Amino acid sequence: MVSKRFVLKRLLLLVPVLFGVATFVFAILQLAPGDPARVIVGQRASADQVAQVRSELGLDDPILVQYGRFLVDAVQFDFGDSYQISKGTPVREVLADRLPVTIELALYGQAIGILLGVPLGVLSAVKQDTLTDHATRIGALTGLSVPIYWSGPLLILLFATYLGLFPTSGRIGSTTFLPDHWTLLGVELPLTGMVTVDTLLLGDLGAWFSAVHHLFLPAVTIGVYSMALISRMMRSSMLEVVRQDYMRTARAKGQGAKITVMKHGFRNALIPVVTVIGIQFGSLLGGAVLTETVFGIGGIGTMLVAAIGATDYPLVQGAVLTFALLFTLVNLGVDITYSYLDPRIQQ
Amino acid sequence: MRAARTADRLRPRVRLVGGALLVGTGLGLLGGGAVAALLSVRVVRTVFAVGALALGFGLLGWSGSIMAGRGIETMHRYMDTGSNWTEASSRRAMARVGAAGAGVMLGSGLVDAVLLG
Repeated sequence: MVSKRFVLKRLLLLVPVLFGVATFVFAILQLAPGDPARVIVGQRASADQVAQVRSELGLDDPILVQYGRFLVDAVQFDFGDSYQISKGTPVREVLADRLPVTIELALYGQAIGILLGVPLGVLSAVKQDTLTDHATRIGALTGLSVPIYWSGPLLILLFATYLGLFPTSGRIGSTTFLPDHWTLLGVELPLTGMVTVDTLLLGDLGAWFSAVHHLFLPAVTIGVYSMALISRMMRSSMLEVVRQDYMRTARAKGQGAKITVMKHGFRNALIPVVTVIGIQFGSLLGGAVLTETVFGIGGIGTMLVAAIGATDYPLVQGAVLTFALLFTLVNLGVDITYSYLDPRIQQ
Repeated sequence: MRAARTADRLRPRVRLVGGALLVGTGLGLLGGGAVAALLSVRVVRTVFAVGALALGFGLLGWSGSIMAGRGIETMHRYMDTGSNWTEASSRRAMARVGAAGAGVMLGSGLVDAVLLG
């Protein structure tokens, strides 16, 4: 049972994290070259027009006032309207449209990482110093060393261009169109924005297959790094656990090797791995920016890259804060799981 | 008794953060004033932004150390990447960086407010 006090303490930690990220983003954008007012009115606008927009945006106010106003808006998750990418649309709406795409990609990447990384790590530890172990370790090292911007195009080249097994980009087949709602017992409900979930909700298995088919390569690209790290951690942790006295006692009492490893070793070996899963979710989000760009998926990552290029400051602020919020919430979930696996941590 | 124990526990933390905040404020006032006098009043905002960068970095590092410090220590241990990095030392260093940044923001913000009105 996870104590309320523990969860509350972890929730309170979200405040300095988000405050820190907001301050960081404010500073970066203050230091970035270019005038937001000039970006809004365009290069051909007169100095008077620029001055008027500066005054409307409050850019002439003392910096402490601007900072305070920014923090108040950030708390309400109100970053105003997009300057360039979705001109005039509130940032909140743009993010709400794009967020499910990124979350879906990150979740599938994480799932691939965990589902492959954990068994590979256990296998590698149980078969220490055999061919299987060496192959797994080399695979993990390669996965950790290869950057996404290289592995992504390589996978596209092999599986999409040469073998023609998967599409090169997009989220779903170009002939498939999804409505913007689904019906449950006669009630119209909005869709989630995650194509693999939405197609299931709509009961369209053909579209679901197309969505999974499109998502496979990007999810593998992003999941390989995660898998490599998890399998390495799992191996080291498992090796430490299998040498413990309680494991030897269980074997001495006649318990089979597989049952001993799975019943007594696995849960204990999983504890350090769980913490790493939370930490590397940050790299997964960073990886999503690159993966989305490589595979042409319209999530927050692609939008962030475009927003930086177009000096669309409100979108950049919103996207960075959203990433920070996601990261901290995932770590909160990981902490709760961790405290369930090892109740001593709550002390 | 309990209050005294709490005070004993808080004193070094307040001293650490307060000292860095004071140093930062001094730097912000001096740096902001010098920049305003030598270059332009608007450039004071760059000093403020540098302070904000330090505060943001410090806050993120501090809370990140608390949230993920244990995980990072474990990772170092299991990945055989020998390191003297500890959660506690990181927390202290980040508190100092953040407080100094907040001080710079305060100092340069005051200069900006006084000079720009």
